Amino acid sequence: MYIINVLIKIFQESGFAALLEDPRYLVMILVACLLLYLGIAKKYEPLLMIPIAFGVLLANLPRTGITDGLIHYLSLGVEYGIYPSLVFLGTGAMTDFGPLIASPSSLIMGAGAQFGIFTAFLLALALGFDPKVAAAIGVIGGADGPTAILTASKLAMEYLPAIAIAAYSYMALIPMIQPPLMRMMTTEKERKVVMKQTRAVSKKEKIIFPIAVTIFVVLLIPDTAPLVGMLMFGNLLKETGLTDRLSDTAQNALTNIVIIFLGISVGAKAVATTFLTLRTIEIIVLGLIAFSFSTIGGLMLGKIMYKVTGGKVNPLIGSAGVSAVPMAARVSQIEGQKANPTNYLLMHAMGPNVAGVIGSAVAAGFMLKIFGG
Amino acid sequence: MPILEALMVAVSGFLVVFIMLVILWGIIVLISKVVNTVEKTTEVAAPVESAEQLPVKTEEVKKPHEIYGGEIALYDVDEKTAACIMAIVSDSSGIPLDHLIFKSIKALD
Repeated sequence: MYIINVLIKIFQESGFAALLEDPRYLVMILVACLLLYLGIAKKYEPLLMIPIAFGVLLANLPRTGITDGLIHYLSLGVEYGIYPSLVFLGTGAMTDFGPLIASPSSLIMGAGAQFGIFTAFLLALALGFDPKVAAAIGVIGGADGPTAILTASKLAMEYLPAIAIAAYSYMALIPMIQPPLMRMMTTEKERKVVMKQTRAVSKKEKIIFPIAVTIFVVLLIPDTAPLVGMLMFGNLLKETGLTDRLSDTAQNALTNIVIIFLGISVGAKAVATTFLTLRTIEIIVLGLIAFSFSTIGGLMLGKIMYKVTGGKVNPLIGSAGVSAVPMAARVSQIEGQKANPTNYLLMHAMGPNVAGVIGSAVAAGFMLKIFGG
Repeated sequence: MPILEALMVAVSGFLVVFIMLVILWGIIVLISKVVNTVEKTTEVAAPVESAEQLPVKTEEVKKPHEIYGGEIALYDVDEKTAACIMAIVSDSSGIPLDHLIFKSIKALD
């Protein structure tokens, strides 16, 4: 009799009993398993999807108290905007701005690809979201996970998991989202354009670039300092050739550690009680709209460049203006080769691609300035 | 937020991004021009300095016998051999010929 009572007590105090009391946790466990499936089996941004999914799983196993302990302290890096900035440091150390310096007109396409941010912002307002939340949702359109997380952590903490999951999911789905829009927006003739090889960029130019961008952009919009500053610092470490050890750490060890902390922390914010709402679905839909409009914006600028240059620019590279480095550039390359097998657009598309990183950081900085992050 | 104000925020935000990146374009062009000018000046100045210090070379610098396609300098190599070499490089590297740039081809002693 005593043993049965003990067993009953163990069950009543277990997570299983809590699941029966509030089945929403069970739904979230299933959501976590689905995200794990997408990350592992479908390889959708696995480096971030798997930590995020596991964070969701941990946070929704009832009665663990983990969100008050370990996860709480790890989450401070998200709340204070530390992790996204450190991810940008690593991104900067991995990025070659050479194609952008060789062809600075790419910046225009990077700007055009921020169109979705402001479209989604307006749509979110129309759906009744608070302006701060609408601004954070819009930044999903920048196709830049760390930027979306940083903005959400300052403007819409309660919606951070939905925004982060939407941003990374759509970044992973770029090869599916962009090609139909690219074919819809461009003609066969435009897609076949073969672009000339860009000029070689000197080491001095590559070293001066991050310093000049930091001074100029941060002075103009100080709120971009955590993102643009870290991005350019990382790039400077890479380009000087004198700080290889630091560059290597920023690219590998540091980025990997931060991604683990960031993923787990963001995922753990997706607790059943706050995540399973209609608002989450709305954010996910708005994220898709933001992505699509950003792609269209980049392509429109690509078409303008095609006209202005007398057909020397292949407008397909415009879609790479949504950051998502280098996935979006690869999509431009693939679509370009489908139209013309001798076409090599990858390096040309890297220009708008890295311009998009700067563009989305500027757009996020603008939102933070207006809505007071 | 009133519709008009929201529209103003969206339009001005897009414009800020645009203007910022256009100015960056200008800055990059400026950096490139300054760096290229400095590098050219250094290149011109350097040989003059070194020419005074170094012994006079007995061998004259070889002039390209022929300029191929206006871009490739051929040194003691005929056009046919050069074409074969380019085809071999393209085949071995898997890069199409129109994506390779050959600056010069020189016969070794």
